Amino acid sequence: MSAVTIRDLAVRVGSSTLLQDISIEVESGSWCTVIGPNGAGKTTLVETVAGLRRPSSGTVAIDGDVLHALNERSRALRVALVTQHPIIPPGMSVLDYVSLSRTPYHGSLRAPSAADRFAVAEVMTRLALDEYADRDILTLSGGERQRAVLARALAQSTRVLVLDEPITGLDLRHQMTILELLQKEVRESGLTVLATLHDLTLAGQFADRLVLLNKGRLVLDGPSGDVVRSRELSECYEMELRVIDVDGADVVVPARH
Amino acid sequence: MAIATIIALFGAVVCGLVVGPTSIGATRVIGDVLSYVGIGHSTLSPLQSLVVWQIRAPRLVLGLLAGAMLAVAGGTYQGVFRNPLADPYLLGVAAGAGLGATIAIVDVGGGLSTPNWTPVLAFVGALVAVVITWTIGGRGLRSSTATLILAGVAVASLLTSAQTFLQQQSSPDSLARVYIWLLGSLASAGWSSVTLVLPYVVVCVAICVVAGRALDVMSVGEDESRSLGLPVRRVRFIVIAASSLGTAAIVSAVGLIGFVGIIVPHIVRLLVGTSYRRILPISVIFGAAFLVFADTIARTVMAPSELPLGVVTAAIGAPVFVIILSLRRRMVA
Repeated sequence: MSAVTIRDLAVRVGSSTLLQDISIEVESGSWCTVIGPNGAGKTTLVETVAGLRRPSSGTVAIDGDVLHALNERSRALRVALVTQHPIIPPGMSVLDYVSLSRTPYHGSLRAPSAADRFAVAEVMTRLALDEYADRDILTLSGGERQRAVLARALAQSTRVLVLDEPITGLDLRHQMTILELLQKEVRESGLTVLATLHDLTLAGQFADRLVLLNKGRLVLDGPSGDVVRSRELSECYEMELRVIDVDGADVVVPARH
Repeated sequence: MAIATIIALFGAVVCGLVVGPTSIGATRVIGDVLSYVGIGHSTLSPLQSLVVWQIRAPRLVLGLLAGAMLAVAGGTYQGVFRNPLADPYLLGVAAGAGLGATIAIVDVGGGLSTPNWTPVLAFVGALVAVVITWTIGGRGLRSSTATLILAGVAVASLLTSAQTFLQQQSSPDSLARVYIWLLGSLASAGWSSVTLVLPYVVVCVAICVVAGRALDVMSVGEDESRSLGLPVRRVRFIVIAASSLGTAAIVSAVGLIGFVGIIVPHIVRLLVGTSYRRILPISVIFGAAFLVFADTIARTVMAPSELPLGVVTAAIGAPVFVIILSLRRRMVA
């Protein structure tokens, strides 16, 4: 059964069309990455699937429930979001920050329950954040901070996680750490991931499926290996892209003349 | 920390009752208070009792209410707008109240000159200003809080210009009265203004304090707090409405007391950290104590004349803030 079902989605703001004719199904427990040049509509798609934007037409459903018929709280129980530039509140401890994830469970008027605290502690340990629990989150390095952001999203205990450029601004090692953590969640906990990535090599290596967007339309949707080798990919980026095989892994590079 | 603020509050209450131009011994005032709960008996003369219960006590209570309300409203605004410069007058409450009060004092149209109209029109003016600001700046699908702040600035400028015009056209006598009103004072406090203001303050302070947890969630920004299941726009509306209504009620009773709303939450933040679950309740107590202390100074330093309360709040608040700021920086370093 598909965890995310996007059907005939269009998003328009004023007279400009940001997304049009988008239909995507993401299998439960799989990883789908959306790629495409700047302005393709990736962020709009992510925001719509996270419930932050209303579709102008078409629907987005999570586990069969149409997202925009749900209120904020029930939506937050089904899908969690990591934004492209998470706002880090100054002075907040890592533990308090990760604990925000339980808001949809206890509501904004009541304190977290024992179950909430347990869920937070469990994710903190899984992501090796225990030693940072009392640190001001602003004092963490970029890589550690992004791990805390990911922990907050995972402790929301949703079956679907949506991420917009989750590895922007991280060094290569931390990029791999974040992606490997996510992969482990997909394989071991059956998490469904819908992400956007700019790095085509990493996108191809970590996703089960790639969706290529350009100018608000869906260009290609298929297994990662096929999409990175496609002619359409070069056309969308308006440059020639080559795929090199390095020990069985696809590496996407621009061809220079 | 909570204990320290409660001690400060207790100290402020004692100061408010004991200190004054009519010298009554502290122990005798306390003895009088205790006599009401059945401990000992009062030694105050009827006149002294009148001074304590009809002059000092209502002034004390109004000061507590005003300090609590302005401080918690300032802290709430800073949270909801995620802007450290926000104060309770941000959305035009002060300008609206000022215009309303000026209309009453200058007696535009006639028949308004009885003092009773001043608080009424100040209250109405304050609320009208916030409603205009909200209508202009709060609409649109993804209206940002920045638009609301800018709308507040525009509305405040417009109303202030109208107020200044009226003030400038008025007689020297009403000019002086408008000026005194604008500076804010607890001097005219009586039990009637306390009972008028009390329900607003109790309800609005309670709403703001309860909203602390929601404001903590909102510190990660609108998109993320919505993805955490918070109905951001509804929370924002309720919290802004409560802060503005409470502030309007206070302003209509005591005029424009500046600085409490911005300085108290910041002092509290330096002492207890950045969580609004702690900042807001402690600001309530600390704001109440702070304003009563400031008022005690305002009415005694140059007795029998009084210093404007806003002058004292700024004169004490600013150095206290700077001292705590530098102490904390030293502690962190």
